[in-house]
Amino acid sequence: MLEIKNLNKAFGTKQILRDLSVKIPASSIAVFLGQSGIGKSTLLRILNNLETADSGTVILNHETLDLAHIAETHKVGMLFQQFNLFEHLTNRENITLALEKVLNYAPEKANQVALELLNKYGLGDRAENYPAQLSGGQKQRLAIARTVALKPQVICLDEPTSALDPMLTNFVADAIQDLAREGFVVLVATHDTALLERLDCQIYLLKQAQIAETAVSQDLRAHPEQYPQITAFIKGQHHQ
Amino acid sequence: MFDKLILLDYYPQFLQGALISLQIAVCSSTIGFILGTVLSFLQTSRSKILKALVTCYVTIIRGIPMLIQITFMKYVVFQAIYPQASVIYIAICAIGLNSGAYLCEVIRSGIQSVNPGQIEAAKTLGFTKMQIRRYIIFPQAIRAILPALGNELITLVKDSSLASTIGVAELFKNGSNIRNQTYDTFTVYLIMGLLYLIMTTSISFVINKLEKRLKKF
Repeated sequence: MLEIKNLNKAFGTKQILRDLSVKIPASSIAVFLGQSGIGKSTLLRILNNLETADSGTVILNHETLDLAHIAETHKVGMLFQQFNLFEHLTNRENITLALEKVLNYAPEKANQVALELLNKYGLGDRAENYPAQLSGGQKQRLAIARTVALKPQVICLDEPTSALDPMLTNFVADAIQDLAREGFVVLVATHDTALLERLDCQIYLLKQAQIAETAVSQDLRAHPEQYPQITAFIKGQHHQ
Repeated sequence: MFDKLILLDYYPQFLQGALISLQIAVCSSTIGFILGTVLSFLQTSRSKILKALVTCYVTIIRGIPMLIQITFMKYVVFQAIYPQASVIYIAICAIGLNSGAYLCEVIRSGIQSVNPGQIEAAKTLGFTKMQIRRYIIFPQAIRAILPALGNELITLVKDSSLASTIGVAELFKNGSNIRNQTYDTFTVYLIMGLLYLIMTTSISFVINKLEKRLKKF
């Protein structure tokens, strides 16, 4: 269970997150929905210490996380909008580098783990290629494999479909569902309603630095009228 | 007319001078590269004082002719701290410090060419700052600046001739001595020019090969 309590963040005079509190169970997906610049990505970046919260607490399985040193604990992983793969390393090395240098795995063990993950994500035959030689979907799978290799408990995905062909939305949704099934707490920041429609998740609509409305995806699909703000947002996106 | 007897009689001096020139270029560029790397990382650090100090160093070194720096190094700096120092070491030191200021800017541009997203990804994976520099930034920065590094090495081969002013027996100094003995300016300068050309084109060839090798990603 990931619990975020009273999280606050401002950039200068602009309040981005105000007293944001959510509880997300293990093996589940939380989707943070909202317009660009509303603070969805900032929330994920705070959880990965890429931004610093002004105040607030993050608790994972009853343990308060020290966000300033969160990367050292490998409890939270992040998948970026542009994947941010290491372009000078082969696909295999993209996975082994952190295993060897951060987790101090022996090279043989790191290679073994990397090859297992590359096979799992359908990239077994591309191990010695470079990220530039992969398609967008393959890059995303490599990014997932690189993050999963460190065995985090929480995985954050920032706009996972924005750099991909819309045809790949189904694939991304499946990948996210798989991560939840494997036991990860999955946080997704997106404004892609097509992705949202394919996920079984808890939805949080962010507006004016706060959670304006929340819904379980199945309930939303069954009774959209009960969630007027989320429904309006989805319709608005469809009309764009 | 080209007098081949001069080449046959004096080729050991020409070759020895060329080797010294190459030694000065390679050693000073190594110093310059290490210094430039350190300075560039300091310049991209958060400390305003360090940034200001690096900027100050780069401005001074780049704003003063290298000839003055070499002369100052021999007759002021080394005269005060170690007067017995060999002139070749003094030249390497002066040219290396000069090269460091130029390479600092080159390496900094290479560092800044690395996608900041990769640095963020590395942070979230738990790499330390030093590891990020060593395994993520540096290999990619080097690839980006390799042509500029090659140019710097070529420039240093040519600039090594300035070491002759403090008495280093490099190619230009040896050639000048041979000219004073033979009075054949055409032949001597032609041989010197060709030797410099061979050294610089060889460096270009090696750098091109390296570039192609690194282009695989």
